[in-house]
Amino acid sequence: MNVNGESISGEVEDRMLLVEFLREHLRLTGTHVGCDTSQCGACVVHVNGVSVKSCTTLAVQAEGGDVTTIEGLAINGELHPMQQAFKDNHGLQCGFCTPGMVMSAIDIVNRNGSDVDEATVRKELEGNICRCTGYHNIVKAVHAGAKNMGG
Amino acid sequence: MAENGVGASVRRKEDYRFLTGKGSYTDDLNVVGQTHAYFVRSPHAHATINSIDTAAAAAADGVVAVLTGDDLAADGIGPLICGVNVTSDDGEPHRAPVHSALAQGKVNYVGDHVAVVIAETLAEAKDAAEKVEVDYGILPAVTDTATAADDDQQQIHEVAPNNQCYNWPFGDKAAVDAAFESAHKVSSLDLVNNRMVTNPMEPRAAAGEYNSGTEEITLHLTTQNPHVHRLVMSAFNQLAPEHKLRVVGPDVGGGFGVKIFRVLRRVGCRLGLP
Ligand code: FES
Ligand code: FES
Repeated sequence: MNVNGESISGEVEDRMLLVEFLREHLRLTGTHVGCDTSQCGACVVHVNGVSVKSCTTLAVQAEGGDVTTIEGLAINGELHPMQQAFKDNHGLQCGFCTPGMVMSAIDIVNRNGSDVDEATVRKELEGNICRCTGYHNIVKAVHAGAKNMGG
Repeated sequence: MAENGVGASVRRKEDYRFLTGKGSYTDDLNVVGQTHAYFVRSPHAHATINSIDTAAAAAADGVVAVLTGDDLAADGIGPLICGVNVTSDDGEPHRAPVHSALAQGKVNYVGDHVAVVIAETLAEAKDAAEKVEVDYGILPAVTDTATAADDDQQQIHEVAPNNQCYNWPFGDKAAVDAAFESAHKVSSLDLVNNRMVTNPMEPRAAAGEYNSGTEEITLHLTTQNPHVHRLVMSAFNQLAPEHKLRVVGPDVGGGFGVKIFRVLRRVGCRLGLP
């Protein structure tokens, strides 16, 4: 598979989860596990451009695919517009949910366009839980990020 | 608002690393030669433990050790402590039942820890945990707060009659009674209180290292108060003297108070210890 633009190959047990492969084999520990039961969204990555919960995806399901994790967003140290928007709008506190939030947010904008409305953002973030920040600033950040992504 | 110094709005320093996936939470750390712990938990809310057969689990691939509450006790590892003690309004001191890190004799809630399997990989530990045979004698459970303190209710802990550890009233009862007394009309309603848990996004995690040369233990822990953890582990759990214990708190994925007190069951397995 291709991970953050790099071609990766490895032997894995058939039961290995994508998140385990990313965290333990590739040591990309930016993708987190908050629940491992598909509820919290801390583990969201993109597979072929679409957000998936990597805690409930087998590594082999992503075979041959394009995987992007939070580590793959910034280019030469310059934050992706969505990362920048989270920073500017205080869209994070402890940072544990943040990688999943940012990956989901980008997917929401990709699917709904950069003028996505607040109700849609709130509804589509339902698979991502944050316990510290409060969703108000996160939604604000997603909006700002959407505008920035639109150019 | 001031531009700099006191009163100025400042940017958080940690955001860049959190936003780029470079935070360092406890589970992101690996210790050289580490082993993994997996806990066998009770499926019953209240049951006696008649026996635990760990032989098959201990013989499974990659397993280093399988420990039960009796093993911890034999090792002199003390129970979990209750960090907040409340004296009841009638002056009765807090009744805190003994809470062993791994249950001994009886489980008192669903998820109570019964055994821990330590293996070379997490998958091996999980597989072996399925082989731990526990014979439970199921007892009646208490699952309803409205009736939990009734006289005829099942008793969970001997030291806490009526299933009450303390009574902690707030407010001015006399004034409230007087207000009701003189009210034109009194309505009553039943209030259902949701169960509340403090639930940070980052689950409990710990990684321990033991240096047999210096006899020092380093514990990486998702914690809000490393010093308390060190004190409790030393004074109450008799793990090692304080100067031989180092507790490191890396980035923490939320705490909200619960990570001030250490939950020994997550760390008592002494990952990486011989
Ligand atoms: S870890 Fe995948 S949804 Fe929580
Ligand atoms: S910032 Fe802590 S859980 Fe979202």
